[in-house]
Amino acid sequence: MPQSNNKKKIIIDTDPGIDDAMAIFVALQSPEVEVIGITTIYGNVYTTLATRNALHLLEIAGRTDIPVAEGSHVTITKGTKLRIASFVHGTDGLGNQNFPPPKGKPIEQSAADFLIEQARHYPGEVTVVALGPLTNLALAIQADPDFTKNIGQIALLGGAFAVNGNVNPAAEANIFGDPDAADIVFTCGADVLAVGINVTHQVVFTDADRDKLAQSSGQFAQYLCKILDVYFSYHHDAYSTKGVYLHDPTALLAAVDPSLITCAEGVVRVQTVGITRGLTIFYNKQKRFGEVTEWSNKPSVKVAVTVDAPRIVNLVMERLMNS
Amino acid sequence: MSNYHVVIVEDGANGVVEADGLNGLCNSGAKKREKIIIDTDPGIDDSMAILMAFQTPELEVIGLTTVFGNVATEDATQNALILCEIAGYPGVPVAEGCTEPLKGGRPRVADFVHGSDGLGNVNLPPSKSKKDEKTAPEFIVDKVNEYPGEVSILALGPLTNLAMAIKRDSSFASKVKRIVILGGAFFALGNVNPAAEANIYGDPEAADIVFTSGANIDVVGINITTQVTMTDADLDDIRKSQGKYAQLICNMCKFYRDWHVKSDGVYGIFLHDPVSFVALVRPDLFTFKKGVVRVETQGLCLGHTLMDQGLKKWNSSNPWSDYSPISVAWTVEVDQVLNYVKNKLMHS
Repeated sequence: MPQSNNKKKIIIDTDPGIDDAMAIFVALQSPEVEVIGITTIYGNVYTTLATRNALHLLEIAGRTDIPVAEGSHVTITKGTKLRIASFVHGTDGLGNQNFPPPKGKPIEQSAADFLIEQARHYPGEVTVVALGPLTNLALAIQADPDFTKNIGQIALLGGAFAVNGNVNPAAEANIFGDPDAADIVFTCGADVLAVGINVTHQVVFTDADRDKLAQSSGQFAQYLCKILDVYFSYHHDAYSTKGVYLHDPTALLAAVDPSLITCAEGVVRVQTVGITRGLTIFYNKQKRFGEVTEWSNKPSVKVAVTVDAPRIVNLVMERLMNS
Repeated sequence: MSNYHVVIVEDGANGVVEADGLNGLCNSGAKKREKIIIDTDPGIDDSMAILMAFQTPELEVIGLTTVFGNVATEDATQNALILCEIAGYPGVPVAEGCTEPLKGGRPRVADFVHGSDGLGNVNLPPSKSKKDEKTAPEFIVDKVNEYPGEVSILALGPLTNLAMAIKRDSSFASKVKRIVILGGAFFALGNVNPAAEANIYGDPEAADIVFTSGANIDVVGINITTQVTMTDADLDDIRKSQGKYAQLICNMCKFYRDWHVKSDGVYGIFLHDPVSFVALVRPDLFTFKKGVVRVETQGLCLGHTLMDQGLKKWNSSNPWSDYSPISVAWTVEVDQVLNYVKNKLMHS
């Protein structure tokens, strides 16, 4: 196993997913990062398929040394009516390519237990990059009172801050997937960095970028070009854009290099009921209210507000092409 | 200065100036003044808007209806009656509205913003006139039926009376000319809590009924009104002016201004209601975006206004699907709106 003490230890909590696959490959190609594990969750696909896809992607990358821990199959409130985004990522989550099943298996530990153990083993050093609904993290927070102290940072792709959502006008998909879990994570007191679609919608990977990727001899570049079609046509239909949003790679790179974004600090709460279920409301603590609110006396988190989109696209391209 | 093509006509009753203003071009001589009803919870900034309306010759204020919010409904009625007298229109009907939100319960009253009398504790004498016999929803429905397509409503408080009017008369939404609403915080922080603005929070169920009613609605949120600050210097200008109500308004504003310093660090006041009034008479000073607006009626975001901007094609139906879009104020000509308000208060 490649080891280096000054590399950032990252666990990717993920529901691959086409842009998840991109983020995983970018992470594996990032010299400043050591991926110490992948945990899986439902979202783009069901958890079982997420685990299969995670194992498959690691085999493609020749990194079967990295453990995969399977996560929750249900929401934190035991909900089973999950919203699965097969219309975005294909029924297999990877652009309908019918890849052969992976040879490897997930480890025995659950995702939450793996997160707890790794955080305890490397206190303050582990960054969790959460690219799906936040159930595994909420379970870890509930199971271990020290988890929020032990974990270095939770960098999550989630929320729509002062913009419309992408599941419906109110909610972004990852938060909508488990709003109760998201509210637990946002208010847990850990170092949380939220990258919402208000930021990731600025990071567009164009048709031209894809052509460049296709022409390169990079191994990951070649693989991704095969699976990107479904993702491109979804974006074209839903947003009338000629390009795709780099949600997951943006969140990953923001965790690796904070200089790619700027942040505001404040309290985030998640609406868990009603027509705006999954809505994320950020309170920057600037304005004072006449009465105590649901945002009063909660720990602050960081919310990304601007992004250096060209630099992110370049980094993604570079790391995928040189693979 | 007015942008309107003003036509002076004979008017036996009170010799007022009539104008075609609000509908654009004058094509055939004199037109009727625009009939408006102000639904209000006065309120310091409500008082400014009401006095401005009475001094706007293009408008005919055919009635005030009252609601809880800045004060309790009974106090709102008293204040509305006093303001009509002060404005020299003691005969204008004031119809008292609902005393609690649709779902019931004691309404939240913002006395810490507007003082215990709602008018900055200036201790005005009680009014001599009496409230109308009709309730606010009755009055609104009757006037809109009497003048179908002609009555505009300026709604400055929680939307309970309008929701009741919609429930009372299924043709109301199509017969009312236009409803201009001060309410909501669109893609911005609320003022009751981070999620909600006060008027919508006052009766979220009513607001959702009104926004989805299909009526011709312009809504002005605090994301717009908090851009228009009347500073201490502006208030000084008004105090030194010859405006008929300048002194009264400046006296009222002291309490309101001190709240702004405490709450927002603003040395001055936000012109929530006056800005909404300007949106009624001078919509050209704003831009609007169309979209379906829904109001959350549950949970910690109770009272949150959420607009579908229409940027994405949804792949399945959602709570915003299949409702009529309304116009949401998107930008404002801050200086021009402020000048409009100052001029009205200083030169009349």
